[in-house]
Amino acid sequence: MKKLLLIAILTVGSLFAQVKSDVEVPYISYQIKMGKGFDAVQANCLMCHSFGYIINQGPQSRLFWDKKVDKMITHFKAPISKEDKVIVVNYLFKHYGNGKLK
Amino acid sequence: MQRRDFFKTSIVASAAILGTNLNAGITHQPKIGQIVSNMAFPEKRPMITYSDRPPLLESTRATFVRGITENDEFFVRWHLPDIPTHIDLDSYTIKINGLVEKELNITLKELKSDYEQVEVTSVLQCGGNSRSAFTPITGGIQWGSGAMGCAKWKGVRLSDLLNRAGLKKNAHWIGFNGLEKAAYFETPNFVRELELTELDDHVIIAYEMNGEDLPYLNGFPLRLVVPGYYSDSWVKMLSNITVTDKYKHLFFMDMAYRVPDNATESETPDHLAKKTKPITHMNVKSVIAYPETGMKIYHNSHIVVRGVAFDDGHGIRKVMISVDNGKTWKEALLKQENGRYAFTEFRFVFKPTEYGKVSIMAKAVNRLGEEQPLAKNVPWNHGGYMYNGIDVVTVEVV
Ligand code: HEC
Repeated sequence: MKKLLLIAILTVGSLFAQVKSDVEVPYISYQIKMGKGFDAVQANCLMCHSFGYIINQGPQSRLFWDKKVDKMITHFKAPISKEDKVIVVNYLFKHYGNGKLK
Repeated sequence: MQRRDFFKTSIVASAAILGTNLNAGITHQPKIGQIVSNMAFPEKRPMITYSDRPPLLESTRATFVRGITENDEFFVRWHLPDIPTHIDLDSYTIKINGLVEKELNITLKELKSDYEQVEVTSVLQCGGNSRSAFTPITGGIQWGSGAMGCAKWKGVRLSDLLNRAGLKKNAHWIGFNGLEKAAYFETPNFVRELELTELDDHVIIAYEMNGEDLPYLNGFPLRLVVPGYYSDSWVKMLSNITVTDKYKHLFFMDMAYRVPDNATESETPDHLAKKTKPITHMNVKSVIAYPETGMKIYHNSHIVVRGVAFDDGHGIRKVMISVDNGKTWKEALLKQENGRYAFTEFRFVFKPTEYGKVSIMAKAVNRLGEEQPLAKNVPWNHGGYMYNGIDVVTVEVV
C-alpha cells in the first residue's frame, strides 16, 4: 500500500512517468470462506482471474455454478478435471449458493 | 443498426412474455450503493472495485454531475489478467499488416508527428453497464451505472493510417489486437473485428485523454476510439491492426458481447435466442448523479437535479424529468458544448413541497425521437447488455 501511494504521487503531472518504472497493480485480499473444497478452487479457478470475479455473481443456484464452471472449461479452455469440477461446484454452492438447485 | 422501434415493440413483447412464461426475465433499476474500495489502483482514486486480476473498477454515480469524467475516476475494464506492466515508449510500435500494399510499423513519435492530430469528445460505455438490472442474473460483472465515462480523446485518424498503408481491393475486415493476454495459453485472446464499412473518419487511435497521456489502466499508450460504439470495440494497449477479407471466428466476437437478433432483441432464460448479433451502437440513456437514492432532502429547499444523457451520436434532443411517478414530465436544462458524441449535462430545479418519499425520474430523448423505456420494458437478454431504462432515484423529503 505504501509503495503504491508513492507511485501515485510521483506520476502527478509528469508525462509518461507511469511507465518509466514498472506499474504495480495492487493485490486485494478477498474475504474467502474457508471450507471443504477450497483447495480445488484455489488450484482451478484462480489462475485466470481473482476470487472477486467469482463472488461478484452473488449467491446463486447449484445449476448456475455448474454451468459457470462448464463455461470456463468449454469457452476459456480451463483445464479442470471432472472430479475437481464436482468439488468446486459443491464448494461454491455451499458457500456462495442461494439454496436452490435450479 | 437502427433501434427506432425498440421502445414500442418491447412493451408488447415483454407483456406477451410475462403473460405466458413464468420464467421470463425481469428488468428493474440497477444496483446502487456499491462500496468504494479503500485501495487506490495506479493513477486512480479509490473506486468501486470488483477485481484486481483483471482490474475492474466502476465510477460512482456522483461522478456524473460533470459532463467530462476525470481520468482518475474513469471506469476500468480488462478481460484478461496479464497486462504488461512496463511499456518501452521508444520501441513501442503499432503494426498494420494483412491485406495492405505496405506493412507499417509506426512508433509513437511518428504517430504524433507524421499524421494529422485530431480530437473527439466521446462517451465510452461498457455494453454491460447496469447489468445488475437484469433478473435472473446474466453472465458477467454485475455493474451498477458507472461503467461509463466521457473524455476528450486526442490521436490520429484510423483512416489516415489505413490510407498510408494502402488497402488492397479485397480488404473487408479490420482486426484490432491489444497487449492484454490470458493467463492460460489456450484461452482465446481479446481481439475485435470491425467491418471496414463500420469505420468512419471519427474513429481514431488515441494517445491522450483529457489533455494527459492515457492512464495505464485505460489502455496506455494507445487505444482505439470508436465514438458511438460500446467499449468492447475500443481495444486498449493497441498493438496490431490486421486487414483481412474474411471474418475470423474468435471467441470474444462469436460468443461475447452479443444480443438476440430478433425484432425486440429479447429472449427468456428458458428460451435463449438462437440467432445473435454483436452489440454496436449505444442506445439512448441517462443517469441521475444527484440526488442519490436514500438521501434526505429538505422540504421547500432548492434542489438541482443533475446528471448526464447520451446516445450513439445522433445527439440528445431533450431530457424529461418527472417527480410524480411519471404522470407529468418537464424538460430539464441542457448543457451541450462537447459535440454529439459527448455527455449532455442536464439540470432540473426542484422544490420539494410534500414530505415523505419522492421519486425523481429522468428520460432522455434523442434527435431521432428515440426515448428511454421504463426499466421493466427493457428486454432481458442473457448477456445483460444494453440496459437503458428510465433512471429513478428515490429520496426522502424531511
Ligand atoms: C483458463 C482460464 C480460466 C479459468 C481456469 C477459470 N476462468 Fe473464470 N473466467 C475466465 C475468463 C476469460 C472470463 C471472462 C472474461 C471476460 O469476459 O472478461 C471468466 C469469467 C468468470 C466469471 C464471471 C462471469 C462470466 O460469466 O463471465 C465467473 C463467475 C468465473 N469466471 C468463475 C470461474 C470459476 C468458478 C472457475 C474455477 C472452476 C474459473 N472461473 C476458472 C477464465 C477462466
